[in-house]
Amino acid sequence: MIAIDKLCYNSRLRYENAGEKFAFAVITLCICVMSRSTATACIVLAVTGILSIWKGGIPVRRYLRFLTVPLAFLFLSTLAVMFHIKKAPLDLLAIPVGSWYLTVGTDSFLYAVQLIFTALAAVSCLYFLSFTTPVPDILEVLHRLRCPALLTELMLLIYRFIFILLETADAIATSQNCRLGNRDYKTSLRSFGLLGSALMIRAFQRSGRLYDAMEARCYDGRIHVLSENRPPRKKIIVYIIIFDTALFLFAVWRRFFS
Amino acid sequence: MSKQEKRILALTSVCALTFGIAPRVNAMHIMEGYLPGGFCIAWGVLCLPFLAAGFFSIRKTLREHRNLITLLAMSGAFVFVISSLKIPTMFGSCSHMTGTGLGAILFGPTAVSILGLIVLLFQALLLAHGGLTTIGANTFSMAIAGPFVSWGIYLLCKKVRINRKVGIFLAAALGDLFTYCITALQLALAHHADVTMGEALVEFLAVFAPTQVPLAIIEGIITVLIVMGLETYAKPELRAIGFLKEAK
Repeated sequence: MIAIDKLCYNSRLRYENAGEKFAFAVITLCICVMSRSTATACIVLAVTGILSIWKGGIPVRRYLRFLTVPLAFLFLSTLAVMFHIKKAPLDLLAIPVGSWYLTVGTDSFLYAVQLIFTALAAVSCLYFLSFTTPVPDILEVLHRLRCPALLTELMLLIYRFIFILLETADAIATSQNCRLGNRDYKTSLRSFGLLGSALMIRAFQRSGRLYDAMEARCYDGRIHVLSENRPPRKKIIVYIIIFDTALFLFAVWRRFFS
Repeated sequence: MSKQEKRILALTSVCALTFGIAPRVNAMHIMEGYLPGGFCIAWGVLCLPFLAAGFFSIRKTLREHRNLITLLAMSGAFVFVISSLKIPTMFGSCSHMTGTGLGAILFGPTAVSILGLIVLLFQALLLAHGGLTTIGANTFSMAIAGPFVSWGIYLLCKKVRINRKVGIFLAAALGDLFTYCITALQLALAHHADVTMGEALVEFLAVFAPTQVPLAIIEGIITVLIVMGLETYAKPELRAIGFLKEAK
């Protein structure tokens, strides 16, 4: 039901070491966000895009479709960053509205362009991680990074329950549709409310039974899962170090020396 | 083409454009990479005390009632699922609710802060809403500020004995609006190139208002419906959830 989850289990990079992928995505992401330069962003966008599509085997069209997911936010906030309403027109563009101007300055235009590229590049880093690494592997990495056990355990449980609840919600929604539950706006609101409360009740009952089942299997506060993690490969670590150092030096150079 | 035909054509293309550009209206997650590094860290640090409080409260509850862990996890999954379902909107665009107001009313704000953090992480990884670097800012607006306001208003309405439905509606809707104001503030603090901070804030508020204000109202209505449904069909379960609330 969750497209990204399906794609990442089918990815060709799924059996690479999770730590490598996590480190690559997060370090590149940090450099990209810190550098605030269009050139760095373009490099990151290209590299992570090529890695996800070519190495990971994500269909190009799906990848592009996913890149449009945050577009609504990007579009609206870019409007706010670029356009200003002022008494005096700015240098790039000015549309008079009554005695005021809807206006764009060169500075804010360049700033907005840089922001769009940085944001898209950052999203592509995030996609590299989520298109190649299933959530349980990421949790394993978090656990090794000394994230409190209570948190990782909660996350693991929540991750499992999400799919149970999604399935339940889907079944309820289907049966509501069959019974004309979305006939007009009022009924669809009411149906959604019913769905929410029924879902909560189901979740509650399930959680009780689940705990009983866990306890019957000697649950003592820790869930042991066998992880099928491959050991890290030296070659790939060297590649990651070389790429990120180069990217970092490039970003520093763009920022301070050009 | 006659004049009327032209007008219809123009109208339909405007509609197509608006819906084409905004295929989905999410609750306002700041997208990955949209905040400069310094701001990401600052908002993250600001979240820490709340998260620590939530963490300790959850740990204390679980130490006393170990069996509540599945309930807690189900609640987190519930918030995730409720926020990933399409809610009915007037214009047929697809939008999602935050679900944190509902969470705050049901489970109390301290538990929601931790659950919200986890939900936001999963939303970033599985749905590409929000992001890893902006998770601090998003946690502050959606899992801390919004729920605390919702919780406060809910308690206040209970104290002054306003109609329960109205109280729940106000709590959820105002919590949502507060989240949206905080997000606009976060964006304005980070991005004001040619203008002052105040002007930037007004601009961000204005740009997001058309999508966020109706969304807040719908979220309020749906929250009332869900809580009413629960109170009709699930009294004993609600009492058990009270466990999560009491441990503060």
